[in-house]
Amino acid sequence: MKKILKDILDWLEPKVSYADLRFVQTEKENIEVENGILSSYNVSTDRGVGIRVLADGAWGFAASNNLDEASLQETAAKALDIARASALTKKEDIRLASEDKHIDTYITPIVKNPFQVSPSEKIDLLVKATKMMLKDKVKKSEGSFSFYKTYKIFVSTEGSELEQTIFESGGGITAYAIGEGDFQKRSYPSSFGGDYATRGYEFIEEMNLLENAERIAEEANQLLIAPPVPEGIMDIVLGGSQLALQVHESCGHPVELDRVLGKEISYAGGSFLTLDKLNNFTYGSPEVTIVADATVPGGLGTFGYDDEGVPASKSYLVNKGKFVGYLMSREDALKLGLKSNGAARAENWNRIPLVRMTNINLLPGNLELDKLIGDIKEGLYLDYNKSWSIDDKRINFQFGTEIAREIKNGKLGKIYKNAVYQGITPEFWKSCDGISSEKYWHVWGVPNCGKGQPGQAMRVAHGTSPARFRKVKVGASK
Amino acid sequence: MKDINSGKELVNKIKSFIKNYDFEIIASEGKSELTRFAESYIHQNVAENNINLIVKVINEDRISTVEMNSIDDHTIAKNIEKAIEVAKIAPKLDYHYQLLKPQLYKIKSKYSKDTANFKPLNRAQLVSQLIKEVNKREYEAAGAFRTEESTLLAANSEGVFAFDRGTKVDFNCVITRDNSTAHTSFIDSDINNFNINKITDELLGTALKNVEQIEIDPGIYTVILSPEAVSEILNYAGYTAFNGKTIMEGKSFVCHNQGKKIFPETITVSDDPFDELTMPIPFDLVGYPREKTDLIKNGVIKDGVYDHLTALKYNRKCTGNTLPPEQASFGALPFNLVMKEGSNSVEEMISSTKKGIYISRFHYVNILNPMSVQLTGMTRDGTFLIEDGKIVRAIKNMRFNTGVIDMLKAVDMISKERQTKPGFIGPAVTPYLRTNNFTFSSKTSF
Repeated sequence: MKKILKDILDWLEPKVSYADLRFVQTEKENIEVENGILSSYNVSTDRGVGIRVLADGAWGFAASNNLDEASLQETAAKALDIARASALTKKEDIRLASEDKHIDTYITPIVKNPFQVSPSEKIDLLVKATKMMLKDKVKKSEGSFSFYKTYKIFVSTEGSELEQTIFESGGGITAYAIGEGDFQKRSYPSSFGGDYATRGYEFIEEMNLLENAERIAEEANQLLIAPPVPEGIMDIVLGGSQLALQVHESCGHPVELDRVLGKEISYAGGSFLTLDKLNNFTYGSPEVTIVADATVPGGLGTFGYDDEGVPASKSYLVNKGKFVGYLMSREDALKLGLKSNGAARAENWNRIPLVRMTNINLLPGNLELDKLIGDIKEGLYLDYNKSWSIDDKRINFQFGTEIAREIKNGKLGKIYKNAVYQGITPEFWKSCDGISSEKYWHVWGVPNCGKGQPGQAMRVAHGTSPARFRKVKVGASK
Repeated sequence: MKDINSGKELVNKIKSFIKNYDFEIIASEGKSELTRFAESYIHQNVAENNINLIVKVINEDRISTVEMNSIDDHTIAKNIEKAIEVAKIAPKLDYHYQLLKPQLYKIKSKYSKDTANFKPLNRAQLVSQLIKEVNKREYEAAGAFRTEESTLLAANSEGVFAFDRGTKVDFNCVITRDNSTAHTSFIDSDINNFNINKITDELLGTALKNVEQIEIDPGIYTVILSPEAVSEILNYAGYTAFNGKTIMEGKSFVCHNQGKKIFPETITVSDDPFDELTMPIPFDLVGYPREKTDLIKNGVIKDGVYDHLTALKYNRKCTGNTLPPEQASFGALPFNLVMKEGSNSVEEMISSTKKGIYISRFHYVNILNPMSVQLTGMTRDGTFLIEDGKIVRAIKNMRFNTGVIDMLKAVDMISKERQTKPGFIGPAVTPYLRTNNFTFSSKTSF
C-alpha cells in the first residue's frame, strides 16, 4: 500500500505546494450485553485513503474506499479540483508551520492483544457482571466492550513516512434502578460507556468489573429512594470521572486554536480564550496546571504522530492558573509564529485532520482525599457525569452527576440524587483550592468527543484526581 | 450498488456465502461532498466515496454482525466466516428472533439529478456570492454546504428486498460582526430549491437586529420558539421519551401517561414520512416500511416508535424505526418528526405578546432529567425581547433548564407556517410555537 501512496504522491508533487496521503485500516469489535443477554456482537473492518492537497494556496481533500492505483489517482485529481474551487474565496495562500521530516514506526505497547482473547471470554464476563447487578429495583443492567486496532500509513511531500499501529480497549457497566415515575443509574468505571485506553485486554481485566457490579447496583437502588440534592451555593469536591469531563468541556475545547480563530463558529462555536489572552489571563487558581500530553502511557489520546506527521508532545495549556498555550495544527500554529504541538487528528481515512484534544490532564496536587474533603464544613462530593452543556464560547457551563454525597464537618454522609452544578469557567477554576495527589490520579478515556462538519468522533483522555471548588451553585434536576 | 440490479447481485453473492443460516443485510453506498467556510473563506473542502455493508447472521436466536467497507469476495467471505463462528457460540436471545417477511413500499426518497451532479466549484460560487453580500455589511460568514447522493439496501434471507436512492442538500451558516450574529439552515433533496439570495437576506435581517444586547434576569418567561428551536426540543423529546424501548423498560414519562390528554388540543406530533414538507425515509434498517406513527394527537399522549428487536421482545408492532445493529441497544428514534401546524401568523404571535422572548436557536442542548424530559441548553445567534407586541431589543444569551412537558402544556399559539429543519435522523417539520412556561436559569456574558 505504501508504494501506491508514494506513486500518487509523486504524481501530485509538481501540482501542489503540499500534499499528504493517509491509509487507515481499522478492525473493531463491539460487544453489548443487557440483563445477562447478548444484545449485540459486531465486528467491523474499514479501510481507505484520504488525500489532502494544498494547491493554488487552498485546501482540497478527497477520500475513497477504493484502493486500486487508478481509482486513487482519480481521488487525487478530485482533491486538486476541490482545492482549486476553494481558491475562489481565498484571502491569502494557506501556509504551514515548518516540521521536520520523520520516518518512523509506532506501535501501542500492549500486554494482551484484545483480538486474541476469545469472544466467549469477553461475552461471559459481561453476562456475569450484568446478571450480578439485577438486584431489587435494578431492572435493567448494561455492559459493553469495544476494541480497536488501527493501522495507519502517512506520507507527505515533505518526505515524512510514518506507520502506526494503535490498539484501544474499553468498556464498562451500568445499573438502572427503575421505580414509579423515576429511574436512577450508576455506572462503572465511568459513565457513558465506561473507561477507555490505548492498552490491551489487560486494561479490561484491571477494571475488576465483577468486584464492583453489586456495589454500583446497590448505589443505584439507594439513589432511587434518596432525596434530591439541596439547592444553594456550596463547596464541592468533584470526583475524577466527573472532573475529566469538566476539564474536557471548559479547558480542552476552549484551547483549540481553530475555535479561537473562528473556524468552528458556525457549528461547535468559538472560545473565550481569545488571542489577546495568551500569557495574559488568569484562567484558574495557582493550584491549576493543565497540560496536553499525547505521550502519557495508555492514555486514549496517546499516539506516536498526529495526522499531519507531527510527533506526539507534552505542552502546557494552563500553568499555575495562567493561560499559556493552545492545541494547534501546523496551519494554525503558523498564525502565532509557532510550531504545531501535534494536535491535528482525523477520525478516519475519510476525514481531514482538525485540531483535537489529546490527553488533556489536570496535574495532581499534594492532598490526601480525606484532607480534601476534611476541609469542607458543609458541601457535596459529586461524581460520574449524567448531563453536560456549555455555551458556544465555553463560559457558562452546567453539569449533572449520577451521584452526590453529602459532606458534613469533613466527612462523607448520605446520598442525594439529581445533582446539577453550574458555573462560569474562569470563576470556577479560580475557586479551586485543592487537588488530591498522584495516588488518586487516573487518565480517563473519553471515546466520543464530537467536532467538525462532517462530524468526527475523536478518542481523547483526561488525567484527573479529585479536586475541591469553593462556593459553587448547585441545584437539582426536576 | 448504484442501482437495483447491483443491489440484487450483492444479495445473491451474500446468499452464496451463507448457506445454513438466516441473515439480514444493510448496504449503503454514496458520495458526499462538503464545503466549509469561516472568516469568509473556504477553509475546509472535502469529498468522500464509500460503501458500507452490514451482515447479520442468525443461528436459532443467536446473532452476530459483521460490517465492512469493501465488497470483494475475499472480504465478504472472511467476515461472514467470523459472523458464523460467533453466531454458533453466542448466548441465545431471551425472545424468538423472527425475520421480517417481504413487504411493499409506498414511498421513495426524493432524488435530484442536479443535486447528484453538483460540483465543488458550484458550491464555492454560491458561498462566494453569500460572502460578498455579507462582507458589504462588514459581517464575516461561516458555515457548511453539503451535497450528497446515496443508495440504501435492506434485505434478508426471507426475501425482503428494499432499495432506495436519494439526494440531500444541507446548508448552515452563521454570520458575525463583533457580538452581532445570525444563523440559518436549509435542508432539502433538490439543489434547485436552494436560494442563496433568500438565505443572505434572512441572515442579514436577523443579524442587523441582533446588536447591543442587554442582560435580563433568569426566570419563567413567555417565549416564541423558531421552527429550528422547536425541532431541537422535539428531537430531544423523541430521543428520550418516545423511544419504544425506554417506554417498555419504564424509563419514559409516556409509560405512565399513555392515553391521557395532558397537552392542549392543538398539539399533534407524529413520525410521518408522508408529510409533504419532509424528506421521507421509505424503510428502516431491517426493511420495515415506514408508516405514520402518532406520538401526541390533539394533546393526548399516544405511543412511541418501535424498532424490530424491541417489538419482538415485548410483542409490540414495529413502526419502521429500526436503527443500525451497532445502535440497536438504544431502541428507536423518530425518523421524520412532524408537528401539526396551527392557525396563527408569526406576526400575530409577536403582536399579541405583552412581554416575552423570541428564540432563534439553541446551542448544546442536553437532557437533565430523562423521566420528566427536563432539558438544558443555551440560546444562540439571535435572542430578542418582545414588549407590547414588538421586538424591542436583542438580549444576551441565557441558559434554560426547562421541562418539555410543562413547556408544551403552556403552548397557546402555533404558527400556520412550518419549516423543514435538521433533525436527529431525517429532518423535522415544525412551526413557530408560543409557550407561557419556559425557564431560564442563568446568564452568560455575551
